Amino acid sequence: MNFLQLFAHNLTQGPFTDPFPFQPAPTAKRFRGKIEFDPETCEGCRKCEKVCPAGAIRFTKTDKGLEFDCWHDSCVFCGNCEFHCPTNAIHQTQDWHLAHVQQDKYSMVAHGVIPSHECPSCGKPALFTAAPANKVKGFSEAEIAEFRALCPKCRGKYLRDRKSR
Amino acid sequence: MNMIPDFKSIATKSPWIYRINAGSCNGCDVEMATTALIPRYDIERLGCQYCGSPRHADIVLISGPLTTKVMQAALVVFNEIPDPKVTVAVGVCPISGGIFRESYSVKAPIDQYFPVDVNVPGCPPRPQAIIEGVAKAIEIWRERM
Repeated sequence: MNFLQLFAHNLTQGPFTDPFPFQPAPTAKRFRGKIEFDPETCEGCRKCEKVCPAGAIRFTKTDKGLEFDCWHDSCVFCGNCEFHCPTNAIHQTQDWHLAHVQQDKYSMVAHGVIPSHECPSCGKPALFTAAPANKVKGFSEAEIAEFRALCPKCRGKYLRDRKSR
Repeated sequence: MNMIPDFKSIATKSPWIYRINAGSCNGCDVEMATTALIPRYDIERLGCQYCGSPRHADIVLISGPLTTKVMQAALVVFNEIPDPKVTVAVGVCPISGGIFRESYSVKAPIDQYFPVDVNVPGCPPRPQAIIEGVAKAIEIWRERM
């Protein structure tokens, strides 16, 4: 491109500079940004915790249930968790506005709780996790809701009973 | 003495930035260079310019997880920067250690050794995110002047 062409381009198209701090920046559709977690669809398999290379994801068992934490200051945005998640409960958004002052360092966390409750069949404490997609193939919605509320042992029993029916 | 307030109003327009590579993999350094040197991102619109000497700097960008070997050198260079300075940690490595966390040769997080003011997480952060961090740093710097 010679000078005149460049000059004409700049006159008609404007400068190449991104107007970012004064206007929003263009972001790619598949940009791998901040992690988002949905406890509604999480199966509680903890695969994301195992595959995370930076150790940013942590599950802890508390009285409330299974708590999920992903620290954005440790996450390297590799997308392993999203790739391995069987139910797409964890995914990356296009949000990259993560710059923060030092005071907010330890509050940059994606938090989610899978609540614990009593199994309606045996009465023991169980986690209200989503039903694994491969096990509830062909189930009606009422059956899925019933299956979901059960504890792991009662889930196995439920599946066996349903097969023999 | 009347000159000092005038000087302050002029000086706060253009902070000079300096970068310290504390054992970075060069990913963040490339993004930092891109932020300043490529017309597309052009941080000079905010009045910033890279300087070659730490003694001319106002805002420091630190990348890398602070390896044991580079730690002393990084501290020496950091102490040469005149006050008031603002420190920006670029990338997840200086903030928490990232994938190098708990390694035997790494001293991350760096806020144990440096007074960090702004964090820009990302591996590496995109240039616009660095611009956002520098803009936050400029605000803090103006308050300190």
